[in-house]
Amino acid sequence: MPRFYNLPEMPFFFHLITVIAIALPAQLGYTFVFGRGKILHFGPIGVSTVAAYGTFLTLNATGSFLLGLCAGVLMALAFSLLFAWLSFRLDSDGLGIMSIAVYLALFAVVLNWTSLTRGALGLPRIPRVPFADSAMSFALLTTGACVLWTLFFLWLDRTKLARQVSALAEGEWHAKALGISRAGAHIAAFVILGLTLASDNFFYAQYYHLLHPSDYYFPAFVSLLMITVAGKPGSTPGAIIATILLSLLKEGLRFLPFPSAVLGPLRLMLFGIILLAAVWIQRDTLFPKKRTI
Amino acid sequence: MPILSVTHLSLTLNSQQILKNVTFSVEQGEVIGLIGPNGSGKTTLFNVLSGFLKPTSGVMHFRDADITSVSPAQRARLGIGRVFQNFGIFREMTLEENVLVALEALPKEQRMLLGSIKDAVKGTLDMVGLSHHAKKKAGSLSGGQMRLLEIARTLKSGKELFLLDEPTAGVSPKMTRQVADLIGELKKEGKTVLIIEHDLPFISQICDRVLVLDVGEVVLSGAPREIKHDKKLQEIYFGADAAPY
Ligand SMILES: Nc1ncnc2c1ncn2[C@@H]1O[C@H](COP(=O)(O)OP(=O)(O)O)[C@@H](O)[C@H]1O
Ligand SMILES: [Mg+2]
Repeated sequence: MPRFYNLPEMPFFFHLITVIAIALPAQLGYTFVFGRGKILHFGPIGVSTVAAYGTFLTLNATGSFLLGLCAGVLMALAFSLLFAWLSFRLDSDGLGIMSIAVYLALFAVVLNWTSLTRGALGLPRIPRVPFADSAMSFALLTTGACVLWTLFFLWLDRTKLARQVSALAEGEWHAKALGISRAGAHIAAFVILGLTLASDNFFYAQYYHLLHPSDYYFPAFVSLLMITVAGKPGSTPGAIIATILLSLLKEGLRFLPFPSAVLGPLRLMLFGIILLAAVWIQRDTLFPKKRTI
Repeated sequence: MPILSVTHLSLTLNSQQILKNVTFSVEQGEVIGLIGPNGSGKTTLFNVLSGFLKPTSGVMHFRDADITSVSPAQRARLGIGRVFQNFGIFREMTLEENVLVALEALPKEQRMLLGSIKDAVKGTLDMVGLSHHAKKKAGSLSGGQMRLLEIARTLKSGKELFLLDEPTAGVSPKMTRQVADLIGELKKEGKTVLIIEHDLPFISQICDRVLVLDVGEVVLSGAPREIKHDKKLQEIYFGADAAPY
């Protein structure tokens, strides 16, 4: 099960801050694409996987964080564009299925290309950027990045792009008849999500000093999806609150007196129930009624 | 030169021929009524004109440009505006955003002509007396208000050719008057209007010319006065096996 390593030795508070700061940007990106745009992109973890491996394989090979970051961003962009292209070729449900398939295929490549990725063993001993090696400075660094991303999304919500994505979600033909290009708006949305995924994954493995494929299993996507739905789909403030609350819940579960073999499934079940409840409560607004013309 | 000309347009969907050899042209400033029984292909013709459906054969010209394979968004940018039968207003967005999203989609040169976009939004809402609802979700509007808003935003975004699909459908009788007045306004401003409508008196009042569509074919065309008593029209609308509208 993901994310059950020994906690780094640091005050729990820094840990919480870091965990939230790492998770939030992609959560906001996914809220934009899925919550606002109603685009059934179920492959963001596939983008995460290639971004993370791109970053840290490059880092290992070159010793340069900057080059690693660039590689991660390039991988994330390339695969975000692949998903965007698929979304133009398929109808909405088709994209949902196909994006899962693409994610699974990417994941299979990462697991089985052992000469490059060490497969199920993952990449150990990942260093942190030299200027943020301590718990506190790493918390500060990730929080800084997170604040910038959050400001970006609060700004983005008030832009033309956000309105176009909303309009396309509610009535694609109606939006196109106004002169809105679906390709332009959706490519931008996929790319923004891809950049947030690259950003999150740049920090994530550094934090745990380990890049492990189990962190990119399907449950990681369930968590992303759940927070988007729980936080009022499409709302940036809603996603922020949901991310904070559910991260607190997730980390709080560690204090239950159960072995991690029990805690993992327990957490998944709990999240499943929350997702179910959130979908039920928002069943009318999650997907607007299909518009006729 | 006609603003729109359609030549030998045919459309077959699922091996069913829905439009048959449709040919007509429209001069700048004309208001043309498109009538015909339910299922005769009127909305489908609009879908082909606005680029959502590709014709099986035939060509379309907007001014001197061949638009047969131009995308819907691009046609909108050229100046073709569409008002949908089931409302093109985004109910989850505010009134203000509904106008803004239309104005922002304009090509840059046209957006510049509007001056302050904020004033243009307010002006549009004022035109139909809705500016005090600017921050409300459009879903809270009545059918008539939505229709007015949709026509007003299409007008404000500088469209030259209006495709109005049953603009009085889902509109209360009281508001129908206002919608008719707004269409009259379009005519006064020299806009070209193609309007699908079932209400024959309404049509003869505002249209210069009428096209009658039956089973995907233009079977009759002419000034409202000329065709009103035509046998074909009587047959289509009041004949034994014609669907009532
Ligand atoms: N996308 C489509 N696929 C198959 N048949 C269609 C499609 N759109 C419309 N039709 C058929 O085309 C015919 C004309 O429909 P329509 O244009 O909506 O009629 P009108 O607007 O004149 O009432 C109908 O028989 C309808 O079932
Ligand atoms: Mg119709």
